[in-house]
Amino acid sequence: MLDLKNLHVSIASTPILRGVNLTVGHGETVAFVGRNGAGKTTTLRATMGLVASTGDIVLDGRAIDKVPAHERPGLGIGYAPEDRRLFSAFTVEENIRLPARVANLSGDETKRRLDRVYSILPELKEMGPRPAGSVSGGQGKMVALGRALMLGTKLVLLDEPFQGLAPVLANRYAEALRALRDQDRSLSLIITESNPGLLKSFAERIVTIERGEIQQSELVEAVH
Amino acid sequence: MSLQILVLAALDGIAYGALVFLVAVGMTLVFGVMRILNVAHGSFYALGAYAAASLGIAMAGMGLSPWLAFPMFIVAAAVVGITVGGLMERFLLQRIYGYEETLQLLVTFAVFMMLENVQRLVWGVQPYFYSDPLRQLGNVNVAGITYTAYQTLFLPLVALAVLFGLRFFLRYTLAGSVIVAVTEDREAATAIGINARRVFFLTFVIGVTLASLGGALASPTTSVLPGMGAEMIVLSFAVAATAGLGQIEGAAIAALLIGLGRSMAVFFAPEFEVVMPYLIMVLVLLIRPEGLFGKTTARKI
Repeated sequence: MLDLKNLHVSIASTPILRGVNLTVGHGETVAFVGRNGAGKTTTLRATMGLVASTGDIVLDGRAIDKVPAHERPGLGIGYAPEDRRLFSAFTVEENIRLPARVANLSGDETKRRLDRVYSILPELKEMGPRPAGSVSGGQGKMVALGRALMLGTKLVLLDEPFQGLAPVLANRYAEALRALRDQDRSLSLIITESNPGLLKSFAERIVTIERGEIQQSELVEAVH
Repeated sequence: MSLQILVLAALDGIAYGALVFLVAVGMTLVFGVMRILNVAHGSFYALGAYAAASLGIAMAGMGLSPWLAFPMFIVAAAVVGITVGGLMERFLLQRIYGYEETLQLLVTFAVFMMLENVQRLVWGVQPYFYSDPLRQLGNVNVAGITYTAYQTLFLPLVALAVLFGLRFFLRYTLAGSVIVAVTEDREAATAIGINARRVFFLTFVIGVTLASLGGALASPTTSVLPGMGAEMIVLSFAVAATAGLGQIEGAAIAALLIGLGRSMAVFFAPEFEVVMPYLIMVLVLLIRPEGLFGKTTARKI
């Protein structure tokens, strides 16, 4: 599904990623763990083309490292950044629908994808008319997940989704992710997290990154 | 101070404020989305005025109906905005988005200097005057004052149409929504498939077309001559700073405030005419450094 080979990223001459190699299989959920500044977010941003990188990024056998950043979501990659980054000028529903409008999806296809989002996160339907700027941090993370799912039909990248969430909301978020995986067994997920304990219940593999290099990749003897 | 002079000053100020708004809203839109303070923005006002005056004079020479001047204003503004503005964004600005603000400012200043000289080269230094549309709409009587309908009604109506049209465009169309999204968060917009470069192009063309439209609409009310762009860009900066950069409705109110302030000075204290817009700006910024409607953000320049 996704192959990162020898991925290097430098920001202001400082190396952030130093030859990251990471493979994510079809339908696999990978917990991508590491300390703050280890390179988790940069790996996801490089995959989305939001930061300049060298090395290979291969999605479903196709090299995408030369594909412009704005065309990558159209390949089936959804991305929910760490700090939600909703568009506060729009309502919650407009935020979720915008990727489909930009991708020029048909009305039927948009409805199908919206139904998928609402089946996993029914609370978003009620929140729909609210201004995106008025939702709480935790609710915002749900909206960001919903928005990422509109285009993320093959791969979804979630950056620190549990950070700052109250335990109740963190459980709810994890429940939604389990529902997502149960519903779509072919969807691959990469979830970054500083605390791997949270992800053990549903990740198949835990990959550890440290100082821009992959240190460890271990399978989880998981409940599923 | 008679009531009639007050009414006259108010009408003058509203008409002038409408023109300043068209230019300033274009500048503030470009700044809001692209974070570039375009010094050459005033040159598009001048180019729009020259294009409209030249076309208008040519049309009159061909014996065409003076009513055609009104659609011609829009066409002239669009042609200037799309060609000159489009070329500037595509071949110049796209190369400097990643650079620091000072360089961006200097580059747009260089374009301003070049366009000023291009105007002298193409149109010379003699003033152009094209007042057919002014005569065509006739006069109206407001509180005993006879004033042109063009300035009393037409210009403010165009400014209001642009204000509401722009708000509608940004709120209810896909092109407008992607502009808003890029304005708020360029990276998040890119991550949902929005081509920010295309949005920059579109925004810049819309912004400078509005400046050109301001110039085209101003051409019947003033002599079109070298230097008019410089005067307008300084006023637009004053309006945008007073409103808070990136604020569309704020630009309308600030333009009205500055237009009225300037015309009141013309009638009641002529020695303050030039300084009045800046006095208003300074007063506003002393009380609200982020502008009337601005939000506090990290400093850009």
